Amino acid sequence: MSDTRSVETSAPDIESAIEQGLRELGVARESVIVEILEEPSRGLLGIGARQARIRLTTAAPARAAAPTPPVALPAAVAGESAPAEEEDEPGEEAAAPPAEDADAFDDDTLLADAQPISDSELDEDARVGVATLEELLAKMEIKARVAVYRARSSEDEETPWVLQIQGADLGVLIGRRGETLAALQYITRLIASRDLQRRANIVIDVEGYKARREKQLHRLARRMAEQALQIGRTVTLEPMPPYERRIIHLALRDHPQVTTQSVGEGEHRKVTIIPDRR
Amino acid sequence: MKELVEYIAKSLVEDPSQVQVTETTQSGTTILELQVAQDDMGRIIGKNGRVANAMRVLVRVLASQRGKRVTLDIV
Repeated sequence: MSDTRSVETSAPDIESAIEQGLRELGVARESVIVEILEEPSRGLLGIGARQARIRLTTAAPARAAAPTPPVALPAAVAGESAPAEEEDEPGEEAAAPPAEDADAFDDDTLLADAQPISDSELDEDARVGVATLEELLAKMEIKARVAVYRARSSEDEETPWVLQIQGADLGVLIGRRGETLAALQYITRLIASRDLQRRANIVIDVEGYKARREKQLHRLARRMAEQALQIGRTVTLEPMPPYERRIIHLALRDHPQVTTQSVGEGEHRKVTIIPDRR
Repeated sequence: MKELVEYIAKSLVEDPSQVQVTETTQSGTTILELQVAQDDMGRIIGKNGRVANAMRVLVRVLASQRGKRVTLDIV
């Protein structure tokens, strides 16, 4: 199970280095974490040119990290649901090590330890959210079930409902860097909030993708912070969507020796980890 | 494919009766044209086109399920 593998590669630019690493590992882009160890630089007249250096890390099969199978809620079964215990992982999903590997740092993760809840506990937000999401999925011709969890509360926020979409081959709902999942969540929230006439307190996930990604990002944050301290220089991560950058910032918020800052615009915005001056 | 767009649009506008989606095909690509009341344009486009773009992402998922290409225009 612990077949986390990693390679380090160098190439003139980051993309080629990633491709090279993916070939070496024989895995898809989505199933690795990319760490940029060194940004490339052209140097002057070829002097002092530096290659991009990256590390790719795969993780153990994701199944192990999936939450306990939730109680299927009658209200939460979309149309013809997929076979109940579908264990196939959408191929392009990132994988994570078994949940037992979780250590103290994962304590404040939002989604990782969400508990399934019973029908009677479903409040208005969850009901409306599930109905909206099911309608959308049906119209998108996606065969899947929606299970509801209550995420474990984090200190300063109202605990959201997690609408977990379950089924086979749902990679299509995640998309590149979670783009499709973000769109699905955005539209579902908009519609549900309109119905409720207030902000719907819901989060949407697909087959535990966010939970796994969140754990990966926590590990990445810690490792890169260590690295920044070791080399005594700012470390720049690959571009990430806002939700993921936030996880990195939060993961290192209480780190005594580094600070984080996002730089760049739009799609290219990325987190930098800056070691404190001693 | 218009049902998906219709559902989303009607759920977001003030005046669902004015929501119209036409579906045409041009050299293998499905073209969806979405029309809403003038006052509702902002609601379906969203800040920086965020709502419109999210709708495009979702309708593309549906199209890819069917092995098709699709564009969504708001007119």
